[in-house]
Amino acid sequence: MRALVLILISICLLPFIVRPAIASEIWIFAIFGLGLNLLLGYTGLLSFGQSTFFGSAAYVAGWLLKHYAINVFFALGVGVGVGALSALLVGYLCVQRSGLYFIMLTFALNQLFYFIAYQWTTVTGGEDGMPGIPRPEFLGLNFKDPLVYYAFVSSLFLLSLYLMRRIVESPLGKILQAIRENELRAEAVGYNVPRFKLLAFVIGGAFSGLAGVLYAMLFGIVPLEAISFVFSGNVVFATLIGGSGSLYGPIIGSFVFIWLSESMSVMWARWPLLLGVAFVIVVLFFRGGVVEAWNRFWSWRSSKRAA
Amino acid sequence: MLYALMGLGLSLITGVLNIPNFAHGALFAVGAYFLVSLVNFAGNFWLGLLVAPLGVALLGLLIEYAGIRRLYAAGHDYQLLFTFGLALILNELIIVIWGPVGISQLPPAILRGGVDLGFTFYPKYRLFVMLMAGLLVLLTWLFLEKTKYGAIMRAGIENKEMVSLLGIDIHRLFTVAFALGAFLAGIAGALTAPIRGLSPGMGVDMLGIAFVVVALGGLGNLLGAIAAGLLIGVAQAVVAAYWTEASTAVIFAVMALVLLVRPQGMFGIR
Repeated sequence: MRALVLILISICLLPFIVRPAIASEIWIFAIFGLGLNLLLGYTGLLSFGQSTFFGSAAYVAGWLLKHYAINVFFALGVGVGVGALSALLVGYLCVQRSGLYFIMLTFALNQLFYFIAYQWTTVTGGEDGMPGIPRPEFLGLNFKDPLVYYAFVSSLFLLSLYLMRRIVESPLGKILQAIRENELRAEAVGYNVPRFKLLAFVIGGAFSGLAGVLYAMLFGIVPLEAISFVFSGNVVFATLIGGSGSLYGPIIGSFVFIWLSESMSVMWARWPLLLGVAFVIVVLFFRGGVVEAWNRFWSWRSSKRAA
Repeated sequence: MLYALMGLGLSLITGVLNIPNFAHGALFAVGAYFLVSLVNFAGNFWLGLLVAPLGVALLGLLIEYAGIRRLYAAGHDYQLLFTFGLALILNELIIVIWGPVGISQLPPAILRGGVDLGFTFYPKYRLFVMLMAGLLVLLTWLFLEKTKYGAIMRAGIENKEMVSLLGIDIHRLFTVAFALGAFLAGIAGALTAPIRGLSPGMGVDMLGIAFVVVALGGLGNLLGAIAAGLLIGVAQAVVAAYWTEASTAVIFAVMALVLLVRPQGMFGIR
């Protein structure tokens, strides 16, 4: 309950602190992170190919928005569908292997989609991205107004959070957690483990797809990066830094990540270097995420005060 | 054959250390850039070809010793994040030092031009690369199969606890394996430089290919790496002849197809 109040407060305050576009980006990235966290945090599957679903959904929905002037909700539906479908295809191949193979497969298939997007320039624009994606008006709501769009994004985020909470607390969520804790035992109890992993993949893909469409409409463009492995890595980073064990971890991570990348990208054109350094530092010194770093900071302070 | 070399190095690192090494592509790129700098500095291609991979191996040694060593107890997620961070750092450093624009590198004078093979005309340098890569794969195979340390390394892939119980310094084994894998990546990069030229994106492209080789061939499986390397190399060449744009995507498509038929990889290991 306290977490929900905090989230509501930050949704209201955020557009006053940062530009509405960045505020929207934070919640979009949080939706993306929620999808990954179902795999990483709840099922114990480290997917390094989440941008496959994010990017595919953004491209398909963006294309339809641009050329067929579909309405916003239909675009979102398409995005969720494409995200889920691409996750079904990728997941089908990946869930048959485990451990390191699994990680490498998610990455390799991510590369497959990336190179298709890279070369299919007539549709995707290749390296230049797919520009000119509109945010059409719907039922009198003018989504071109950044604040209206922000409100739209944050309500969809709340909806996603609610759905994800229902999912992880449902019997399905418990089975996924059982798989994370002990795959053999889950299998022995009679659950079809690959089937459930695939289901987690598809649900995670649907969330990624939703985030992808919102992202495309936010910036009016689908950049090639949206389907690249860098994006997949970013969302893993955001989820881990927030703490993958909890439902709210990816939300904190999304805040930290977008803030980090926004502030670094204005500092230096080669900011991914700084981002890489941040990754390394986090891994070496702050494993366990923001929550643990916070606790460690307090215990360090109180020990100082005692001395 | 180059793909086999890359896959082999990655396969060693992944197999022995049990970590996902996302920096493998970056090490490949660093090898290529080292070569160019050495050639420009010393004016000797052969010296560059010798020293550049050693430099990469040294870099690998450093990475393992200062970073990865502390992460064996952590999960794959953190190991992945670490090597991914390293890849970003190395990639950006390449842009900072050598610039974002591609560089071309000529093969040494003696290997310029082509040879008439009777049925086709083939560039000399490519022939040399094939021979070198074949030789290196063979040497690695001899090392792994015929020397005592190679046997220990293979044992390390099979069962780390047992090796360590037998009184072998497993940490040193890890360091050596990582340095060796880095060396192979570095020399593959250095050999590639005159064929394809250099660009900061070369590492990432190669990383995906190396993963495909390992996913198909199996971890620590030498024959698998060679077979998978040849398979995707040939597939790529054939497709490139008819449909150039798809030549990179086809690598991953072939992998998907093989896995569809044989989810356990070509040689059915795990």
